[in-house]
Amino acid sequence: MSILALQHRLAEGLIVVLLFLFALLQLFPLVWLVDFSLLKSGDFFGSEVLKWPDPPQFQNYVIAWERGRIPLFLLNSLLVCGVSVAVTLYLALTLSYALKRLQWRLSKFFLIVILLGMMIPIHTTLLPNFIVFSLLGIRDNYFSLIIPYVAFSMPLAVFIMTGFLESVPKSLDESAIIDGCGYFAVVFKIIMPVTKPALVTIMILTFISCWNEFIMAATYLSNEDLKTLPFAIYKFTNQFGADYSLQFAVMVMGTIPSLALYFIFNKQIIKGIMVGAVKG
Amino acid sequence: MHKSNRTTIVLLMAPGLLVFCLAILFPLILSGYLGLTDSHGISDARFIGFQNFVELLTNDNVFWSSLLNALLLGLGYVLIQHPICVLLAVLLDKLSGKLELFFQILFFIPAMISVVVVTKLWVNVYNPSFGLLNNLLQAVGLGDFKQEWLADYNLALPSLLAMTIWIGFGYGFLLYYAGIKGVPEELYEAARIDGAGEWRVLFKITLPLLKPVIIVNVTLAMINALKQMEVVYLATGGGPANATQFVANYLYSKAFLSSEFGYANAISVVFALICLGLTIAFDRFTKKDGGLV
Repeated sequence: MSILALQHRLAEGLIVVLLFLFALLQLFPLVWLVDFSLLKSGDFFGSEVLKWPDPPQFQNYVIAWERGRIPLFLLNSLLVCGVSVAVTLYLALTLSYALKRLQWRLSKFFLIVILLGMMIPIHTTLLPNFIVFSLLGIRDNYFSLIIPYVAFSMPLAVFIMTGFLESVPKSLDESAIIDGCGYFAVVFKIIMPVTKPALVTIMILTFISCWNEFIMAATYLSNEDLKTLPFAIYKFTNQFGADYSLQFAVMVMGTIPSLALYFIFNKQIIKGIMVGAVKG
Repeated sequence: MHKSNRTTIVLLMAPGLLVFCLAILFPLILSGYLGLTDSHGISDARFIGFQNFVELLTNDNVFWSSLLNALLLGLGYVLIQHPICVLLAVLLDKLSGKLELFFQILFFIPAMISVVVVTKLWVNVYNPSFGLLNNLLQAVGLGDFKQEWLADYNLALPSLLAMTIWIGFGYGFLLYYAGIKGVPEELYEAARIDGAGEWRVLFKITLPLLKPVIIVNVTLAMINALKQMEVVYLATGGGPANATQFVANYLYSKAFLSSEFGYANAISVVFALICLGLTIAFDRFTKKDGGLV
């Protein structure tokens, strides 16, 4: 028995070593990024794989924070993502309730149409939306991001929400209607509380995809002051082409908000992605 | 249904449908129209029938090579990334508690980082003068293999595929890991009691039970490969000389770099149709695992 236990221990040790080696392969470029972000730009050249920053150039971060106008872009990102998430949640609730719980002839048709939206690559709408938003006069406006972000988050959100509603007993909301409760009151007072797990999943998935979204921001925005964080990082890395240490510092700062969120909510995020990815 | 109900349905559905039509449906229709013109921008479009589409499908090598690149990326996902994901997921499943959670969190870190940062990071890893890759080669005595990874016509595509596969690893891993977590523990125990070795368990129990998960993941990988854009746009812009071109990036550069707006919209329409067709085909194919339509 003790030999078996020893064998088991050994096998476990071997697995940990293997997994660790692979994690190193995955994360080493990030270690390199942080290391080099603390060097002087002139010290980049050389053949060392990692360099001990002597002394660490923390002012890279100070300069990048100011010249990269990071606080402004963080705020823009938060605003755009916050509004997009809120609207997506509202629409997921109302649409799913109407499509799943109320009986009307075209409900199935509309459900399929909305779900088909999951298959449309955002890239095929970039050119026409560029024109539509120009004509509507909302290019260079937060709405030119919020509208497509909501539109492209909605299909997956409805997919998750309608799936979750299947497990909620119909009697719950039907009896409320019979008791004279209005439809909107049912959605927000009865459906919303019981579908909290689905709402959390939708919130996380929508937030992550909006937070990291780049190509629409690069297409619909040209005003410097409205840029979201990923687009700002892109601009900055091009603008300071030769100043590598500043570029690296900006890239590290760009990862901090997402990683912070990830370390706090890792369980919910991982669970949400497992749910969402299957059909995303 | 009584009248109040009809008003309610309209009130509940209208905002969502409005957004949907404004940002997805109407643009697609507009794209279809613009694809039939020789538009160079917002105004002065002339209707030219199916000329763009004929040109695209019969005479555009870049378009076809973009599709081929997408296929190569898809195969790279399936043949290189997925086996590693399955292996690591199986290994991780054997651990438990804090240790399991620790690695699970670790493996997904790169997937959480914005595509802009990860791509720019990799552009620097490949940098010929100070990049991590060349310095690593130098450090292990393979200095002769130092390359201009993304600038060399023959190396650009493999280099781009490698980084794209690295970037997508976290999601691939998580999907397989979720699938493996779904295999009932009793099956493993029963097999072990019967004296089956680890490899036998893997090939006789885990993989066969994982079949539906594998089918879904392979489908997703092919579709994601087809939709690839951001990494290409940020790393190489499709160059050098279209060696790393992908469809979405191609239509984008046609529209905004060479102002062939009508032609770009024709690519866009064909692209949307390919994606839609492929998804529906795969969906039919995997119908018994819960199809969408």
